[in-house]
Amino acid sequence: MKAMFRPAPLALTIAAVATTGCANTPWSSDNSEPATKASVVEHYADLAHANYEDALITAKALDEATDRLIANPSEANLLAAKKAWLAARVPYQQTEVFRFGNTVVDDWEGQLNAWPLDEGLIDYVKADDYQYELGNAGATANIVASNRINIGGETLDVTTLTPDLLADLNEIGGSEANVATGYHAAEFLLWGQDLHGFESGAGERPATDYGQGADCTNGNCDRRAQYLDAVTDLLVSDLEWMVDQWAPGQSGNYRAKLTSADANEAVQKMLFGMGSLSLGELAGERMKVALEANSYEDEHDCFSDNTHNSHYYNGQGIQNVYTGTYQRVDGSEVSGPSLSDLVAQVDPELDVRLNAQLVASMQALGLMKDKAEASKNPMPFDMMIAPGNAEGATIVNGAIMALVEQTGSIEQAARELGIEALSPDDAGHSF
Amino acid sequence: MRKFTKLIGAATLALASAAVGANTDLDIDRQARNLWHDAILAGYQSLATNAADFSRAAQNYCESPDQASRRNAEQAWRRAFLAWQKVRFVDFGPVENNNLAWQFQFWPDPKNLIAKKARYLVKSEDGVTQELVAQSGVAVQGFPMAEYLLYDKQMNASDKALPATNTCELLVAVADHIAANSDTLSSEWQSLREHFLDTDQYSDATIKAGMAGLEILEERRLAQPMGMRGNGKRSKYDADAWRSGSSLMAVEASLNGLRTYFLPGLSLLLDNSDKPALSQSIKRQFDEVLEHFPEMRAPMEVMLQDDSFAQLQGLYVDVSQLVVLVTDQAAVELGVARGFNSSDGD
Repeated sequence: MKAMFRPAPLALTIAAVATTGCANTPWSSDNSEPATKASVVEHYADLAHANYEDALITAKALDEATDRLIANPSEANLLAAKKAWLAARVPYQQTEVFRFGNTVVDDWEGQLNAWPLDEGLIDYVKADDYQYELGNAGATANIVASNRINIGGETLDVTTLTPDLLADLNEIGGSEANVATGYHAAEFLLWGQDLHGFESGAGERPATDYGQGADCTNGNCDRRAQYLDAVTDLLVSDLEWMVDQWAPGQSGNYRAKLTSADANEAVQKMLFGMGSLSLGELAGERMKVALEANSYEDEHDCFSDNTHNSHYYNGQGIQNVYTGTYQRVDGSEVSGPSLSDLVAQVDPELDVRLNAQLVASMQALGLMKDKAEASKNPMPFDMMIAPGNAEGATIVNGAIMALVEQTGSIEQAARELGIEALSPDDAGHSF
Repeated sequence: MRKFTKLIGAATLALASAAVGANTDLDIDRQARNLWHDAILAGYQSLATNAADFSRAAQNYCESPDQASRRNAEQAWRRAFLAWQKVRFVDFGPVENNNLAWQFQFWPDPKNLIAKKARYLVKSEDGVTQELVAQSGVAVQGFPMAEYLLYDKQMNASDKALPATNTCELLVAVADHIAANSDTLSSEWQSLREHFLDTDQYSDATIKAGMAGLEILEERRLAQPMGMRGNGKRSKYDADAWRSGSSLMAVEASLNGLRTYFLPGLSLLLDNSDKPALSQSIKRQFDEVLEHFPEMRAPMEVMLQDDSFAQLQGLYVDVSQLVVLVTDQAAVELGVARGFNSSDGD
């Protein structure tokens, strides 16, 4: 997704708050060697590598679960596949902090996490509730139901749905809403359209959409199964590629380039990734727009109603990069020299404040998560942003404000570390 | 695009004034803010006047709908919309309160949320009131919604087309909402005067606002529909105000607004910097850019056709040169650095 952008400001008028709180213990406090920019960058690459490995591990589990669903389309297997998808989102959303600033990630991620999508490209939709991107010729192509599709005058043979074909179809017709691949395509194939609007409830695709023979509902179950199989296979191979890019001890991969370049450049990328995700993307596009326009079209995981977790783990990723820590999906901890250590060397007070702000934003996002997952009267994100839901708006705004505050300190940290320009080199431009 | 100057403290400001040079720095800084405050106030007052006219014209049309009153309403919409374009670059101060900027113009709207919200509201059985509009989110509350009701082809071909009762109620309520917001904005800006003059960081904020306004114009309002970003596809839907064919008129108005309301204060600072010649270069470049008008007041859709695309490219090139002068040269000379803003990310 590159096109989403609103030039209007986030409405934020905040006095600088003197925050106190518990800073995470800097890694270097129990190590004799003080952190250096070089060691921090090295550890950043370790963190990214571990995080992408977890994304890969959980994507493989998703791939296996969908294979079982395809072989035996029971409600139990559909539920298991959905659970595997939800688990796969946990590490992946934490990796998004690596995206901004590292073009190797940004150029690649459109095939994995593009949103919002015009799901009518992929499969059947209920027309009255389907609002697609203006001018998108592929918005109702329905690949599952067709052997040939015509998009903007171009006819394509889609008889056999393979990972490569789906990769070619992604963003077909020049529309970024034509998302044929990635987590959200898989999400749609598992959950189906969410027809509940601002009301309680997510997509309700039946397992029989993958039924064999006479058991098949909504037609073309074999092609739908082929699609789901190909899309999850592609997800796995895409993540394998990214794990390799961050693997240590290899020449010629992205990590080798990053760690051999001027450490200031990599520190700039780290801070730029944190700040961009924190403010423009998470607080802005993913929350503020959806809230102020009361728009569930702008909900991130709209089929599964898992948006709160996508937001929560985005926030976690930001904290990970600053503190140099990451909890792996097997429960083990990764830790090492961090930005926090570097900032503490030059401005301990700022380090304490930024750590406290990161804790506060995780609490605010945690509140959103708790509310969405409450056993009694849960309020998922699409209900929080409904017109007139004051309680929901307060929760979302609380998260937005916390992210905004921490972004101010991230800017200050950059300045203290001698990083002058925080602008992206040319992010999102292709000319 | 919100910058975090308020959070940052005096560091940035020290840089900004250090670059200006002489002992009278603070005086000149204050004089620049004086120019900016007066100019932006004039812009906001013009918006308020034109928005009030539009509100009356919408009311008149719905009371006695005929061709003449419809034309009046459309023309009044355009005048008010263009008055907004002139001050659209100001992204700090009272326009931040209650998301006023988004209320005036929710854009871009790739998923056509405007149409979805309009369809829902005109079906409402209890009628459409100002209260309902006030509760319905930013996609309902501004110029794009009024434009949709007045100009959208599908809407105008449907049984809910103006002057159908609910649709008229929605149009009038939206026009009233815009007028009320414009009044608020103008009076709150006026109240900000002393604080604006006394607070050094507002110089930084104003320069950044001008830079951001120009960058948005170059990248989002021109390059994006021209297919020069992202996917390479030309699309009028990526422009704003395509329904009324006003995208390029809006570009002209924004450039005029920047020249009238932003440039004088900037020039004063540059005239007192180490590079006084920059000020003349920027003025000349504004002239160059605006020479493309009025010829270029055509709908974006027309200008995206092959036979007129070269003209549009000519405008784009001149705007790009203006952006380089203002953001790369002037801002650097004045020590203004870009920070994170809400356009980062996707």
